Amino acid sequence: MDRRRFIRQAGAAAAAAFAAPYILPSGRLFAASGGGLAQHVVLVLFAGGVRQQESVLQRYLADSQGEPYEGNVLYNMLSGAPPEMKIVYGTGLGGINPIPSVLGQSLQQQGTLFREMRAVSTGHFGGLNSLLQGNTAATQGLQQKPLNPTIFEYLRRHAGVPASKCWFVGNSIGGSVPLLNYSEHPTYGARYGANFFAPNVTFGPLGQQYLGDAKVYHPEEQLGPVYAMKAFLDNSFEHMVDAPTGIGNTAAEKADIKAFMAEMFQRTQNGAIAHPPVHDNGDLTTVGYACEVISWFRPTLTVVNLSGVDGCHSNFTGYLASLHRADHAVGHLWNFIQTQVPGMAGNTTLIVVPECGRNDDPNAIKDQNDWFSYDHSDANAHRVFGLMAGAGVQAGLQIGSEGSPVGLVTDVVPTVAELLGIKNEVLSAGLIDPQSMSLFDRI
Amino acid sequence: MRRSLLLALTLVLVATGCRKEPIYELDQVDLRPPSPDKDQLKTNEEYAAILHANLFQTGLPANALFELGQCIESIGDKELAREVLISNFMNKPGVILPTDTAMRADPDAFITDTYRRFLVRDPSEAERTWFRNLIVADPHITTELVYYAFALSNEHLYY
Repeated sequence: MDRRRFIRQAGAAAAAAFAAPYILPSGRLFAASGGGLAQHVVLVLFAGGVRQQESVLQRYLADSQGEPYEGNVLYNMLSGAPPEMKIVYGTGLGGINPIPSVLGQSLQQQGTLFREMRAVSTGHFGGLNSLLQGNTAATQGLQQKPLNPTIFEYLRRHAGVPASKCWFVGNSIGGSVPLLNYSEHPTYGARYGANFFAPNVTFGPLGQQYLGDAKVYHPEEQLGPVYAMKAFLDNSFEHMVDAPTGIGNTAAEKADIKAFMAEMFQRTQNGAIAHPPVHDNGDLTTVGYACEVISWFRPTLTVVNLSGVDGCHSNFTGYLASLHRADHAVGHLWNFIQTQVPGMAGNTTLIVVPECGRNDDPNAIKDQNDWFSYDHSDANAHRVFGLMAGAGVQAGLQIGSEGSPVGLVTDVVPTVAELLGIKNEVLSAGLIDPQSMSLFDRI
Repeated sequence: MRRSLLLALTLVLVATGCRKEPIYELDQVDLRPPSPDKDQLKTNEEYAAILHANLFQTGLPANALFELGQCIESIGDKELAREVLISNFMNKPGVILPTDTAMRADPDAFITDTYRRFLVRDPSEAERTWFRNLIVADPHITTELVYYAFALSNEHLYY
């Protein structure tokens, strides 16, 4: 072998040995950013429009109804004493019994609180899109798939994460929530999308009626030929239209998800879902099913959407109750991961961010307690907070203040990307807001 | 001798002159691909309605279709959602399926009927041959599995 040939072959072998670990299941080669800070991320879209005044500022009725009662109704998430009087947000008649805290130590104590961040939209769908796309979503239409890639697609494309390790659990099929599991971006899209359930529908009465009695087929002897015939039929048809593709669940993943669904139908009927101790609204039952998804699939990324607080448009008392329950849901979710999912305790990061705030001034609607209601359209609706805890997050840290905001909701995408080791790929794609950066870089 | 040759030549000319020229004809063949005009994606409700009609040969009330549409909407992987829906329908009484014996007795008729039922067209010769070979070669193929595959096909999503 001559010297030139030897060098060429040795170089090719070295290149192959270097590249092989980075060849994704799709066959694509990617440049790894390096290890992330966590193996799992759970992102709670603390959505529906949360006023800073009743959350981080812990003003209870003082900054909304002109009544001198302050206190913290989010005591799983935030440190601070609850209100002592005018309790309306708990359980029982009139909501007079606050829900006991699930966590022994607040998430604020366990992690880092960004006290004053900025939302880029005062609308729900725009806000949710900004959280998941990492940009302002200024041209995003309602009832339209995200225009730019979501964090799900970045993760699946650049880290090769399988579809069954990427989950979006929505509390509803309203508000275009089911559209958010992937974008219509041409180089990302459905094939890199997340699995999605709106479990209150999927496993609720409708799901039980129409989906809960599925015939079980043998995966090889029966479904094998079915998929082969379908592939033949699709091949005949594919040159006609660009038929919508699935999100890339393999046959084995589909079988696993079907088994999960069968289990959920059974456990729902038996009242055995991992719901929070109190689960009297849609957000709380959604989180119960999210716990089941986390326990079954151990996802790399789980996104959970809550929105019960949006009742604040017409009922401030209900808003306080929903806010309190959303905190109960987050506390339960984190506690469940730490105590019931051994493979994720200690290597999971929790992020909680509202998609938008609510107005400073009320609208004209008064509720049963004669309290004013609030919409979300003014500057105050751009005020939100951000909370992180768990793997890779410094405990007991507070960043920013009312007069000195730090962070944007669009920072969530690069933050999750940094946690999961794909920050460089996400930034290089050039599709997030130029002002966005990882919250770790804000620190 | 000369007259004989002339007579023979005349006879030959007369005989060949009466022969008809052969006419070559071709069958009319549609050179377009199957279903060239199917480009409208069915809504979830339309898909569920047509699927139910194909399997049960009865319609569903509007409220049931609305609820079925919501169930499909609540699952992110629509292909998976359709599989779950089909397997639920297959588990209900009243599904009208040809017998496996009838399918194996006359595969061509079964294939044509199935294409017409689900895809609203006749199969091409290539498609008929592929399915015929599959049915003949694989004893595990049942009418239920064939219906399942057709119900799940992309072409069944379009009209």
